[in-house]
Amino acid sequence: MQSSPLNFRRVIIWIGRLVLGCIFIYAGYAKIFLPNRNLWPFFILKFSISMNLSNFATQVEAFKLLPAWGVQFVAHALPFTEIILGLLVLIGWRLRIWAPVLTAIMLGFFAVVLRAYLLHMDINCGCFATPQPINLQKVLEDAALSGLALLMTIFAFKEARQPHPWSAPEKA
Amino acid sequence: MPAVPARETSAAWQPAALESVDGVNDVDPHKAFGSKSAPIVVEVFSDFQCPACKTLFLTTNRQLMDNYVTTGKVYLIHRDFPLPMHAYSRVAARYARAAAEIGKIELVEKTLFENQEKWEQSGDVDGTLAAVLSAADMAKIRALVKGGTLEPLIEKDVALGQMYRVNQTPTSVFHSKGQTYPYSGVMPYDTLHQFLDQLLSQK
Repeated sequence: MQSSPLNFRRVIIWIGRLVLGCIFIYAGYAKIFLPNRNLWPFFILKFSISMNLSNFATQVEAFKLLPAWGVQFVAHALPFTEIILGLLVLIGWRLRIWAPVLTAIMLGFFAVVLRAYLLHMDINCGCFATPQPINLQKVLEDAALSGLALLMTIFAFKEARQPHPWSAPEKA
Repeated sequence: MPAVPARETSAAWQPAALESVDGVNDVDPHKAFGSKSAPIVVEVFSDFQCPACKTLFLTTNRQLMDNYVTTGKVYLIHRDFPLPMHAYSRVAARYARAAAEIGKIELVEKTLFENQEKWEQSGDVDGTLAAVLSAADMAKIRALVKGGTLEPLIEKDVALGQMYRVNQTPTSVFHSKGQTYPYSGVMPYDTLHQFLDQLLSQK
């Protein structure tokens, strides 16, 4: 019996790749290139990126979770990680490696946003370049995206164990 | 380093005439620092109740004043951009404007930013400033604040900020050799220092 090429698991994996991949790419792009977008000449571009990463560092620092060196590390590494991870998940290369990494990061975002919400911290989430307050809507958004990431990862592993008949090696 | 000396206040007091400096219009000389012939003009759109503005003022801008403004390389203009989300920032802006008119802008800006956490809870801008200014100065400032002539000047700064598409504070707008570069956020001094030196070395 052959299964349909578009079963529930595969639809979730596709939606997860598309939604989370695009969101991660945009989130990384926004942190590096927004709000300051003066791009030319090169020293202006360099200053724009330095300013944007510095603004992001201020937002990371506001969560009061990391020491100064940790804030600087996250502010400078996370945006580039988000872009690379988003691209890898979007194209679907080695999904069983990159989907769990993306899910772990997404769950981390959810945990810190939930903590800030429960502690009534009056801060911006720092998710994208535009100021966004941490409210119930933001917590629910992160919860939904974490759920999607989790499902995508679980289904990616299940699919690997039960490959589609069209792509499975033929039995002798 | 106030560019313009204090003026006596009177019943017929009128705001200082706004000037144009190196293509930048509506400059209140009482709220600007440095030499008007400086090669770089920087406008800082700021809100006295914004924590990031406090950080910029207490860290980067102090070094900017010492190393670039007093040496004639940068002409620094303070612009009011009170955000609607901050309950007392407009009141603080009025007091700072009034203080600028009597030559006390530096002390008042410093006091407002350093005591931001105190007055943003109570809204007691007046009391915060009364603790550091003389009774005579406070009387002049209160008269100017009550006079209602400062509000159009604040509105003018806000309108100018909107023209530059300022949507958060602090935003610094750099003018050099006919080019304009707006930047939002708190810039670390080391980064700013490199940027200004590059602007100065541009031909």
